[in-house]
Amino acid sequence: MGAEAIPDVHGHAGRPPSSCRPIVHCPFVAFYEVCFNFRMNTIEVQDLRRVYNASIGAIRRSRKEIVAVDGISFHIEQGELFGLLGPNGVGKTTTVKMLTTMLIPTSGRIRILGLDVVKDAKKLRPRIGFIFGGERGLYWRLSGVDNLRYFGSLYHLDPDATRKRIPKLLEMVGLSDRGEEKVEGYSRGMKQRLHIARALLHDPEVLFLDEPTLGLDPVGARDLRVIIRNLQAENKTILLTTHYMFEADALCQRIAVINKGKIVAEGSPAQLKSIVSDLSVIEVEIFGGVDDRLPALRALPAVDALSIENREQKQVLLIQSPAGAEAVSTILKLLDGVRVGKVAVREPTLEDAYIRLVEGEA
Amino acid sequence: MKRLTQLRRHLRVILVAAEMSLRNNLTDGFVIFGIVIQPMIIALMAFWMLRDQGPDDIIYIVVGSGMTGLWTTTLFIGGQAISGERWTGTLEMLVATPAPLHIVVIGKTLANVLQSLSAMVATYALAGLVFGALPTIARPGWFALALLLTVPAYVSFALIIAPLFVLNPEVRRLQNGLEFPVYILSGFLFPIALLPGWTTPLSYILPPYWAARALHGASSGGDVADILFSMAMMMLSILIYGLLTARLFRRILYKARVEATLVRQ
Ligand SMILES: Nc1ncnc2c1ncn2[C@@H]1O[C@H](COP(=O)(O)OP(=O)(O)OP(=O)(O)O)[C@@H](O)[C@H]1O
Ligand SMILES: [Mg+2]
Repeated sequence: MGAEAIPDVHGHAGRPPSSCRPIVHCPFVAFYEVCFNFRMNTIEVQDLRRVYNASIGAIRRSRKEIVAVDGISFHIEQGELFGLLGPNGVGKTTTVKMLTTMLIPTSGRIRILGLDVVKDAKKLRPRIGFIFGGERGLYWRLSGVDNLRYFGSLYHLDPDATRKRIPKLLEMVGLSDRGEEKVEGYSRGMKQRLHIARALLHDPEVLFLDEPTLGLDPVGARDLRVIIRNLQAENKTILLTTHYMFEADALCQRIAVINKGKIVAEGSPAQLKSIVSDLSVIEVEIFGGVDDRLPALRALPAVDALSIENREQKQVLLIQSPAGAEAVSTILKLLDGVRVGKVAVREPTLEDAYIRLVEGEA
Repeated sequence: MKRLTQLRRHLRVILVAAEMSLRNNLTDGFVIFGIVIQPMIIALMAFWMLRDQGPDDIIYIVVGSGMTGLWTTTLFIGGQAISGERWTGTLEMLVATPAPLHIVVIGKTLANVLQSLSAMVATYALAGLVFGALPTIARPGWFALALLLTVPAYVSFALIIAPLFVLNPEVRRLQNGLEFPVYILSGFLFPIALLPGWTTPLSYILPPYWAARALHGASSGGDVADILFSMAMMMLSILIYGLLTARLFRRILYKARVEATLVRQ
């Protein structure tokens, strides 16, 4: 999988690494960037809003306004991998569709590579790529290779270069031996893999990945993360949405958490984790009943919250504590007489921070 | 130079879209029926009814039944050219690529028209089998020319129908109702002179009418001046419908991006 160089579709072999290229082809900007070590934003989103007019009721049709995106602003620098996280139905896909010219914003402004997504859609489209998680958006009666050839022509790629590039892309997503088969016979994950190949076909500068690992098996998801890292190494600008916190933590330089159409927090994974940095999580494995000890444990000043997870023959006490490791001896004293297994104190994860952010809002 | 590159790109999109459309259609039983089987059945019935008539009528039927098949596919498959892709989620993808949608749709409808014309050839061969000799085409040169013009005439007409069906669901409901009247108004199987006078202007705005008039004229030995006139009218309609198309597509696409109707669940 993956690391091998793929011939680029534009046909120039010795393109300079994109890190040396100014984003805007203007000598002044290039000069400015070099002198002040200042990077232009590749993506700028300002007060973005999107309202849907949904019709409800089958017989007496009435209209209802749904505010899917409610005034969000963010920016993504060139070469940055930016994550958009949030619960179901909070407007992530809607945002990505506006960024990829499929939807017109109700209000607000989006500039990508210095181009306005509404006014300059035509100029922008060849330079961006997108993946939407799911099985739709492919021609099921055509083979995987034909799907890619078709999209190659839609991106005005050189036919010969495309023909050479397709096998490499199929290899990269692990579909080499299935490319000639019709897509209708593909599994869900195989379709998702084909989507990945399609999105990379024209070697876009900016990539929008909306739940790209949806439906992938663990190996496929890991492979995709390797692909994403390689793309990042090529200095592509990437926006990623995902429901897997460890994935966001591992990949993203910056994350925005969005809830009910609004951004509720933004920062690096470390910054977001610091929201819950006042807490540590103490995990205590126990064998046998402890119900009689729980009230005393809960009453400890060092215990903020306590929950029990059942794992096969054992149970795990999950204790959120501001005191961290110092609380362990007090806790173990209260558990005297109970068979205790492993005890661990861990840092809060991005998931702990996310849950606090999203539930704090609710 | 830039124009030339642009043109080459468009041509390539048209060709690949047509190729993919053909590959797609060839696995679709309903399409095969509409394109190949149905016109042959119509022709066979007509041959049977006219089995004692002269060879002039046979070529008239070959051309006429071919035209009916062409219209059916234009209406049903062409009408689906855009709306069908909404259900598969591919329309959104198409719209977000650099290729203009109407160029893609030209490719798709071109495939349909060529498929239907091949059915006309099959009907011609069928007539040869039924009557023991291939029907004669009175003016083969003119016929070939008229056939060549028929392709873009139908494509440009389909290009109007496809976005109209997306724009307005009410129009879509008329789809079934449109099939038969156009057979009659276009004079596929009998001359429009048999119709009441008030319907004539309706015939005149239909490119299929001018195509049928030119093809019937050329195959049955009609007046060359009239064939020429019909071909000129086809060109005019290609021009008019072609100009309308670009505007119509721009409008429906903008509207669909505002109303979020590029996809249907
Ligand atoms: N075409 C549409 N018409 C009406 N409402 C829509 C449409 N598309 C999305 N919505 C609504 O907009 C809101 C945001 O949806 P969106 O798909 O952007 O959420 P999301 O954050 O991507 O969710 P998920 O994590 O489940 O993918 C939801 O309430 C959804 O029902
Ligand atoms: Mg979504």
